[in-house]
Amino acid sequence: MYSRADFLLGIRTMLPVQIGTIPFGLICGVAAVAAGIPAPAALAMSAIMFSGTAQLVAAQLYGAGAPGLVILVSCVVVSLRFLMYSAAIAPHLRELSDRWRAVLSYLLTDQVFAAVIQRFRHQPEHRGHPWFFLGAGLTLWVPWQISNALGVLVGALVPPSWSLDFVVPLSFVAIVAPLLRERVAIVSALGGAIGALALNGMPMQLGMILGGTVGIIAGIGVERLRR
Amino acid sequence: MNLGPLQLWLLVLALGLATYATRLSFIALFARREMPKAVHRALRHVPPAMLLALIAPGLLLTTDGSLNLQPDNLRLVAAVVGGSVAFKTRSTTWTIVAGMMSLWALEAASRWLGGG
Repeated sequence: MYSRADFLLGIRTMLPVQIGTIPFGLICGVAAVAAGIPAPAALAMSAIMFSGTAQLVAAQLYGAGAPGLVILVSCVVVSLRFLMYSAAIAPHLRELSDRWRAVLSYLLTDQVFAAVIQRFRHQPEHRGHPWFFLGAGLTLWVPWQISNALGVLVGALVPPSWSLDFVVPLSFVAIVAPLLRERVAIVSALGGAIGALALNGMPMQLGMILGGTVGIIAGIGVERLRR
Repeated sequence: MNLGPLQLWLLVLALGLATYATRLSFIALFARREMPKAVHRALRHVPPAMLLALIAPGLLLTTDGSLNLQPDNLRLVAAVVGGSVAFKTRSTTWTIVAGMMSLWALEAASRWLGGG
């Protein structure tokens, strides 16, 4: 049953998050165009993928000249975190229809997950109620599309001499640097970087994804040693 | 680039389906299963390892593939500035602002030094 109060609360919860997501959306739009992706395809990416990190990875690899399959596999790997979110949230959505679960899955992002899982865990009476989730998800989706479109526009107007393609490595640095407070994360980050450098000569830009795999294995190995 | 228009659109579609599938996974596709603990632990290593692997070659290697850790590698210096801002503030926006400003300042300075 429809709950207007829940829907509005979802919207209100996500409004402050826009301070971060709108600039990030701009960056994703700019990065796609700077990597040489035509504007219509760049817009489609934000609408269909709706994932900043995956969009940036696709832009980065497309710009490096990687073949489609390598781009696809890399995007799947960085999207694996959604498996964790999906698994954590699934029990709370079990009573919903297939259609609701299909829609809410599409709107599942890092920020929405954080808000929704907190509400479900602390207020179990909201289990199986979709309206808060929908309000939160749409409040991220709409500004995301607008900011990406603005980014595509900006990216198309600004000449390459401004080095706007540099926003991609910077955004990855922004995601990774705060994680480095944990020693295990330092190991996986270093493993990934060194692996990618060592494998740089590989055909089809395969060195990056294989290097990343080296880092993941290094992280798992170190964690196992410590236990 | 190396992809034709049709291939690019097919790729965008495949990318969308793939990201959607990861979200749909435990909510709908295999709703009756729990995620194994080992998989959950392994997944935590993905962001630092993959994201640094994606940027390390571009930041650290010259076009001929040799390592450049010198201060004349302007993008590396700017990335380090951005990284320290990210470590302190955890803000993507401030990281980008600091990193881009550094790169532009360094590029201007190097042009000025090179020209003068």
